[in-house]
Amino acid sequence: MIRHFRSAITQLMSIAVGLVLVFPIVYAVAGAFKTPAEFAVWPPTLFAESYLNFDNFRYVFGHSPMWRYMLNSLITASLTTIVRLTLASLAAYAFAFFDFRGKRTLFLLILITMMLPGETLTITNYRTVSRMSLTDTYLGICIVSFVGASQMFVLTGQFRQIPVELRDAALLDGCGDMRYLARVVLPMSRGILLTLGLQCFITQWNSYLWPLLVTGRDSMRTVQVGITMLTNTEATNYEVVLAGACIAMAPSLLMFFLSRRMMTGTQTGGAVVE
Amino acid sequence: MQRSFRRRRFNLKPYLFVLPILVFAVWFVFYPFLRTILSSVSLVNASGEILSYVGLDNFRYMLEKREFKAAFANTVTLTAVNVPVTVVISLLLAVLATKKRPLSPVYETLFSLPMALSMATISLIFRLMFSPNVGIINRLLGTDLGWFEDESTAMGTMLILTVWMGVSFNYLLFLSAFRGIPADRIGASQVDGANAIQTLIHVRIPAIMPTIVYVVATNAILAIMTSGPVMIITKGGPNRATSTLIYMMYTSGYASSNDSLAACVSLVAFLLAFTFTFLTLFLDRKKVKAG
Repeated sequence: MIRHFRSAITQLMSIAVGLVLVFPIVYAVAGAFKTPAEFAVWPPTLFAESYLNFDNFRYVFGHSPMWRYMLNSLITASLTTIVRLTLASLAAYAFAFFDFRGKRTLFLLILITMMLPGETLTITNYRTVSRMSLTDTYLGICIVSFVGASQMFVLTGQFRQIPVELRDAALLDGCGDMRYLARVVLPMSRGILLTLGLQCFITQWNSYLWPLLVTGRDSMRTVQVGITMLTNTEATNYEVVLAGACIAMAPSLLMFFLSRRMMTGTQTGGAVVE
Repeated sequence: MQRSFRRRRFNLKPYLFVLPILVFAVWFVFYPFLRTILSSVSLVNASGEILSYVGLDNFRYMLEKREFKAAFANTVTLTAVNVPVTVVISLLLAVLATKKRPLSPVYETLFSLPMALSMATISLIFRLMFSPNVGIINRLLGTDLGWFEDESTAMGTMLILTVWMGVSFNYLLFLSAFRGIPADRIGASQVDGANAIQTLIHVRIPAIMPTIVYVVATNAILAIMTSGPVMIITKGGPNRATSTLIYMMYTSGYASSNDSLAACVSLVAFLLAFTFTFLTLFLDRKKVKAG
């Protein structure tokens, strides 16, 4: 009886803590449905009067190229994810299945890139990208994020678990390495590729600093940069800003719920962190 | 047998597989890093070309700037407070959630939800939420603070934001680590008569030490690199109260085209991050040996 009571208390407490934690999200969603008048009320309120008032969302889509921002984010996040996982898979294949001179050195060399935070490199990378005339292009937004050392590390471990005999047999049958990688190794690593891919996609979708630096034209901005621009032009339209924030977080929240099962599984998360 | 056969002749293939990632690593990681070091000891013109070697003059110039002193102090404070607070809160959340209960799915979702938000979204929401004019926080807490707009509270508010941004993900890491502890290890200590708190301190936390070290190291680096919220919410103000190293790097390099100064500042940030990672790993190794 006492055990049950304590368990109930713990659970209620956990939910209370959880509600405090998600408060900013609730605040943003509620605020996005408010009218300017509701925002001007003193003292400020939390909830909106009507949740059928889509004026703010309409305003965001009407007064900024929000669809274009979303398309830009979708393209750049997908491109980065695909290229990053491709490069990581190729390297991981070599490290998992070949013995060659300098293997350890090369492996470490790529891992060392994790020690050099991207932020400290932005100024030089900006110079490089603008010299290549890649500012305001999708490639310019993506190109600095193609190296995925942690993805390569995880994939190398994953590929090593595939029996070498399988590859020997396939090669004897005349299957090339590329074909073997594409037809056997990658399909066998579907689960981990999906997890890594989702993580990479979300990280790219959410990135802010670099896309801000390399884009000047409004039509090339990503969602994250675009929503902060709403405030610059409409300094007092708080409800519009929150509507923008909601639009930006909707896709990541959706993905979050889709991928939750994978992320909270039994695997140790530490191995797959960006 | 097979191994020696493979080694006997030179095989170009593995190098071709590694080449693509290596090219991009050199192009966008190693080259810019070396270039940053070079720029920091050189005179660089506004279009980024290196003109001449000037030794440590740039660093001297940087050290004299009040802006740098503020940014450095702020970055260190931010890291020193953010890391322990984030670790403790996410540990507590993980402790609360470890045992599966009927309502687990509900609060597990609530705890990890903030992870899905981007830095830009979070910054916009917090700016409004903490606004002294229209924000709800003063109303809820019954306070009358300026939060981001007051020099004395701006850094504290920034800390609340960065902690909130970090706890969800670290909680997930701790949760899976806690759940990965073999049940018999916990059972053994309970047989010895240890209560829940003793078990937590003497068995469960030591068991997930590698995860804790990992979280400390990654969070320290993230904290040292803080710049986004500063850029979106405060622009380093009021009166430099929230300026950070990377924010200063951005303003001096990109906005004022002073590449040498930007390079020096980013190297300081890098060295801070490097020292911190090194110390964490070193201390961890020592502890493991001593134990």
